[in-house]
Amino acid sequence: MDTTQLLKGVLDLAVLAVVKERDGYGYDVVRRLRAAGLEDVGDASVYGTLRRLYAGGHLSSYVVPSEEGPHRKYYAVNDAGRALLAESTKTWRSFTDAMNALLGLDREEAA
Amino acid sequence: MNTTVDGDVARFAAAVRAAFADLPAPDREALLEDIEDHLVEVAAETGGPLEERLGPPETYAAELRAWAGLPAPGAARRRGPRASRLGRRLERRWRAALAHPAGRAVVEFLPELRPAWWVLRGYLAVQLASLGLDLLFAHDVTLPVPTILGSQVLGLLTAGAAVVGSVALGRRGTATRRGRRLTLAANAALGLFALVLLGGVDATPPTDEPTYEGYVVSGSYLEPLPGLRSDGREISNIFPFDAKGKPLEGVQLVDQDGIPLVATHDDNPQLESRLPLDSSGNAIANRYPREQYQVDPATGQRSPVPAPRPRP
Repeated sequence: MDTTQLLKGVLDLAVLAVVKERDGYGYDVVRRLRAAGLEDVGDASVYGTLRRLYAGGHLSSYVVPSEEGPHRKYYAVNDAGRALLAESTKTWRSFTDAMNALLGLDREEAA
Repeated sequence: MNTTVDGDVARFAAAVRAAFADLPAPDREALLEDIEDHLVEVAAETGGPLEERLGPPETYAAELRAWAGLPAPGAARRRGPRASRLGRRLERRWRAALAHPAGRAVVEFLPELRPAWWVLRGYLAVQLASLGLDLLFAHDVTLPVPTILGSQVLGLLTAGAAVVGSVALGRRGTATRRGRRLTLAANAALGLFALVLLGGVDATPPTDEPTYEGYVVSGSYLEPLPGLRSDGREISNIFPFDAKGKPLEGVQLVDQDGIPLVATHDDNPQLESRLPLDSSGNAIANRYPREQYQVDPATGQRSPVPAPRPRP
């Protein structure tokens, strides 16, 4: 299955989760998503998602001067972002529960 | 970091920016303000040309646009330049409102009002039909129960049926694009009619009562005259009497807020009031009745103003 199609619905959730774990700048978020196993995640999609979440008031941002390169714009999850993450997590859980039940995965786990 | 990488980043970033040329500059900057820094990070990690790593800048820009939740370039360009500027400004305001938790709460709540609108819509449709029939058969548009063919019973039944129909239509939704447009137009027309109806409720004067079209409201409403006044007439002195009709002296008056009631005589410059002083030498302006004299402008002579007798 094409994971980019699956990513469409959950990239917001994945980005929020990564940034909540630790504040991050754009490329750092891309790297951490890939390290977490989402290898197909596109650079532009993460950048766009960060900008949208920021514009929507779910992320705050600040600039950290960097010695070796350009200044880095860090993103951090604010209260609205935490609320969105909590809500999306709930949705994700009930969705995956339903899918797992459909696919018979929960029975395998129990066995 | 060497200059070829910087040149590569600059070229790539410029191509991405060009793909967002349809956005107004502030929006474009808000979206792309740190794109160079971001691309520098990518370039530093991979080493090779950016295109190899990220694909063509146009594709990159399209992906970025989609994920940033922006409309496709064609969609924004179809509107006229003037309309789109206003549209974008409204859109920015709208986004800012949505970013606020209260704004989001309101917007999330709005769809819940939809069933109420369906009910109202059915009712309005009947009132509109009643108005249409009114032009053929002379009777009044009545509120709240509509009159259909001169009968309020018929009006009530029709309204009931229309509400049921409207709710059914709302729940079913409209499948075709044309149907949706028709519904939208009808909704807008009925919404407008509702305003007309509401306006009519207040604007209709009761027929058997006199209207006060000649009444002067400008003096007391638009420009309140200064001083102490009763129905626009200046109060220059106050004469209190006790229950038995005996005149009182040295009465201090305050209004409903405890603020001293100070009589004025701006309309009568020839009147002179002598105000008593308190222990620290300040005039007590709200003690009544005041000792007053009428000054003759020609001679400068003062004559005491007599106390009035109460009029029944």
